[in-house]
Amino acid sequence: MITLNINKKNYKLDADPETPLLWILRDHVGLVGTKFGCGVAQCGACVVHLDGEAVRSCVTKASRAQGKKVVTIEGLSEKNNHPLQKAWLELDVSQCGYCQAGQIMSAAVLLKENKNPTDEDINDAMSGNICRCGTYLRIRDAIKLAAKENI
Amino acid sequence: MIARPKKNNRYNGALRSVLVITILASFVFFMAFGADALTVVVHKPIDSKPVVVKDSVASVAAFKQVYSVLMSPRCMNCHPSGDIPLQGDDSHIHSMLPKRGVDGKGVFAMKCSNCHQPTNTPGLHTPPGNPEWHLPPANMKMVFQGRTQNQLAKQLMDPKQNGNKDMKKLIAHADDGLVLAGWNPGEGRTLPPISHAEFKKAWITWLTTGAYAPEEK
Amino acid sequence: MENNETQNSRRTFLKTSLLAGGGLMIHFSGLAKFALPHTDEGVPAVILSEINGYVKISADNIITLVCPNPEFGQNVMTSLPMMVAEELEVDWTKVVVEMGPHDSVKLGPQFTGGSNSMRMYWKPLREAGATARNMLMLAAAGSWNVPVEELTTKLGVIHHEKSGKKATYGDFAAKASGIPVPKGVKLKNVKDFTVVRNSQKNVEGAKLVSGKPLFGLDYQHEGMLIAMIQHPPAFGMKLKSFDASAALKMPGIKDVFRQELYGDGFEQGGFDVRTFNEILVVVGKTTWEVMNARKKLIVEWVPAGDVKDTMAGRGGKTEVVVPGELETTAVQHRKMLEYAKKPAQQLRKDGDPETAFKNAAEIIERTYNAPFLAHNCMEPMNFFAHVTDEKALLVGPLQAPGWTEPTLMKVLNLPADKIEIQMTRMGGGFGRRAYGHYLIEAALISRRAKAPVKLMYSREDDSTYGIYRPMYTATYRAALDSNKKLIAFHVKGGGIPEHAIHANRFPAGAVDNYLAEGWAIPSNITVGAFRAPRSNFNAAAEQSFLDELAEAMGKDPIDFRLELLQRAKENPVGKNNDYDADRYAGVLKLVREKSGWSGVKDPKYSRGVAAYFCHNSYAAHVVDLTLKDGEPYVERVFSAIDCGIVINPDAATNMVQGAVVDGIGNSLYGGLTHKNGVVEENNFHKYRIIRMHEAPKKVDVSFVRNDIDPTGLGEPPFPPVFGAVANALYKATGKRHYQQPFALPKTEPTSV
Repeated sequence: MITLNINKKNYKLDADPETPLLWILRDHVGLVGTKFGCGVAQCGACVVHLDGEAVRSCVTKASRAQGKKVVTIEGLSEKNNHPLQKAWLELDVSQCGYCQAGQIMSAAVLLKENKNPTDEDINDAMSGNICRCGTYLRIRDAIKLAAKENI
Repeated sequence: MIARPKKNNRYNGALRSVLVITILASFVFFMAFGADALTVVVHKPIDSKPVVVKDSVASVAAFKQVYSVLMSPRCMNCHPSGDIPLQGDDSHIHSMLPKRGVDGKGVFAMKCSNCHQPTNTPGLHTPPGNPEWHLPPANMKMVFQGRTQNQLAKQLMDPKQNGNKDMKKLIAHADDGLVLAGWNPGEGRTLPPISHAEFKKAWITWLTTGAYAPEEK
Repeated sequence: MENNETQNSRRTFLKTSLLAGGGLMIHFSGLAKFALPHTDEGVPAVILSEINGYVKISADNIITLVCPNPEFGQNVMTSLPMMVAEELEVDWTKVVVEMGPHDSVKLGPQFTGGSNSMRMYWKPLREAGATARNMLMLAAAGSWNVPVEELTTKLGVIHHEKSGKKATYGDFAAKASGIPVPKGVKLKNVKDFTVVRNSQKNVEGAKLVSGKPLFGLDYQHEGMLIAMIQHPPAFGMKLKSFDASAALKMPGIKDVFRQELYGDGFEQGGFDVRTFNEILVVVGKTTWEVMNARKKLIVEWVPAGDVKDTMAGRGGKTEVVVPGELETTAVQHRKMLEYAKKPAQQLRKDGDPETAFKNAAEIIERTYNAPFLAHNCMEPMNFFAHVTDEKALLVGPLQAPGWTEPTLMKVLNLPADKIEIQMTRMGGGFGRRAYGHYLIEAALISRRAKAPVKLMYSREDDSTYGIYRPMYTATYRAALDSNKKLIAFHVKGGGIPEHAIHANRFPAGAVDNYLAEGWAIPSNITVGAFRAPRSNFNAAAEQSFLDELAEAMGKDPIDFRLELLQRAKENPVGKNNDYDADRYAGVLKLVREKSGWSGVKDPKYSRGVAAYFCHNSYAAHVVDLTLKDGEPYVERVFSAIDCGIVINPDAATNMVQGAVVDGIGNSLYGGLTHKNGVVEENNFHKYRIIRMHEAPKKVDVSFVRNDIDPTGLGEPPFPPVFGAVANALYKATGKRHYQQPFALPKTEPTSV
């Protein structure tokens, strides 16, 4: 049994606390916006916020999340209106879209800590997130657009 | 999960070999730990001021062993010459280029602990873990990569370059959690060339015999 | 256009299913519900009248357009319905788009691949829209008792100006659905388009950025179990025995069993693709439990030896012997060198190349090599299956349901109308998901487990059990006379297990004496289509070679190509030249202009150019490369594309930008190696994928403006990137690069 706070809601779950947070979210809670990509913290598809940090849920045990606040893409904003979500739509970033939740969650931490990121800041923050369709240019532009709106 | 074909053309389950590795790894870990506990007893009391008895020959010999550990991937990978850690037994630049950051703990969405958990993540090619996982901070980079024995020995003794450590702190550093993590590197990674006990013995010997820097060749 | 009144049991089944899910559920957000058998909660929210397979309209004028082709990021869920909306004359911003189930009767070939979607559906979908509009007008004309010619439509509303009558499509939808389908309805003039040729946003964009369940792995079903497979650890091996006693004791584990895919003598069709035929299956309650139980399996694998396969694709039945060797990359290379010396199959010959080479003043010969490539779709292979003795429901990511269904019928022994395939959004495809073996696996596992099952691959499973791009080599030879004029051209290509040569492509047709040959080495490595199959190698090799030739001849590389194209246009050599020389030259001229090729060069950059034709479209790139810490970095790219009418310009631009990034990544870093049959790059720590800091800052995309019917775009921009990168790299380093990937990491990662 494990208790987790996910997107401001408390869940009491019948799961092994050793289970990676990713599978708790997907298989036990039914929040499937967080994606499985590699399982070894290489691709960033599974990024969620743990007390505001962009952790990779595929290698983060549920036990680490106990007593902390988990935020997933589903809980990033009230009405899917986070400046990044709006910028992503404005620039129509997605191709297949599978990695984009992870991209947005990583970018959200970047913007929280750096209101006006340079190209290099974006590289430093986003090089852990793979996009196989190659939408990096638009991701970069969307982060800059969201930053503008954020200021 | 892959069973590598063996020479005799018999192929056992991947899982069996992984199990064996796991058991071996934990054995090594416990061995190191046990020996380490013993060593601590031998060198007690470390609270009192360490006694230095100068012996340049013994000191230089001990440093050679120390150097072999510090330059092994398990130590050097997080003491890079640049602002990006190294990775793997071959010390390649860490993929995805995580940056040191001011405190050595990474930047933005690429903080060390986003991937590196408090403990090793099970499995091959997964992030090794430690609660304190980080690089030296930006204002005290403590670079190992590329340093000669002479350079590194001097650097280690220079409080301006070693994190303001005096002899006592240097000796205590041998038992630092992150230093110990080098001997518990996670599946598929080689250990430093000597045991932690041997390393610690060499480290203290080097320090207590005058911390001589081997001459440049 | 088939008659909309046609009914059969399968259609009825589908219709009922859809209604049970609530007619307005878009894509598969409703699938989870409609997959539940016979619940009462599925009272439809809205009754939709089906005008034809692609158009459904509710009484309150909600217009649902059905996308026939599976979506893997090429944006067909937006661009295909746009074509219907254009002719139907509806407000695009208000239409609801729904992914269609597999239904080749109503929805056409439903094949995502070969850059075919737009080409294949351009006419049928416009006709579907125009015909539906016509039927709605006929219904109105009948009710209002006015001639249909007096009616006009705008944004989903029918007007009769004379009487001032107007009504929404919804008002007449039910009536229209009963009208016999008219034939020969006139289509709009391209000049009058208002939806098509205008940038429209991705219809699933909002769902993608908010984490809605869209992908195969997201699919949920009541009582669903998770299955994972253990495939042989090496190509050339097979399962001998296993001990699952420890695995079965693990929490949540239901079963462990051996599963054969195809029985002896099974005749493989076009996309059946050879696979591991026997796998070990672990079925359990949750993903993590199954992953953990796998670690407890004790399995003995043995060399499979040579295996006989029966191929029954195009052109009759043949027996193929697949060698049992446990392959190693260095040996593969050596073998290629040996085979390259042997006589090969002649694919095309013009003039007298032998004599021309004999008389040449100078012969330039270069050999190019490229490794196997893995698709590395971000969403690993997976599929949901619920198979009983009576019927089968399959849901998941699949490019070619029409290719998979016949195989399913054979292995499950079920008729087509008892098999329902639903295609989810795919987390990447690149050709990989044209091969539905994982769907067959899922179906057989579900039948055996007697439960609804979602089969999923781990990343390691996905990487080591790919349907890879083959390993290729090609030797190009050019004969120059004493005036440095190109008098003969020879290409001899080979590969494991196929060569890449397109004998009738440029520069065939532009050189008097031309010879193309091919050879292949049989192998047990599973291979298949990978974004622009074969072209993705040819464009790298041939375009590098042409660059080197131009240099040897003292010519500008673009001018040199244009000269050859001029020749191919004015006085083509031989027959069956695949390409249109004018359109080919067009993209070169456009990229020359856009990149400022002829102007003052920015010393910061090393420039390379390449162009290629495939999938009926033309693409040219100029890449501007720098060396960053000794590693090549493509900072800026100019792209010129001719794919006819561009349906959705911004999305098309996105796709070209993506293809450029993909091309840079694969040319610099992509590659798969084997050691004793084992794939060495089993996850992203060893298979280097291009990342943010390696992607260009700018990819400037220009399209040739014309009114030619649309052709492919997903693939054509990809191949020439390889050549352009190679040519820029030469400028930067002074060294030609003949072996892909061009920028291996300085040291090979051995561990992380």
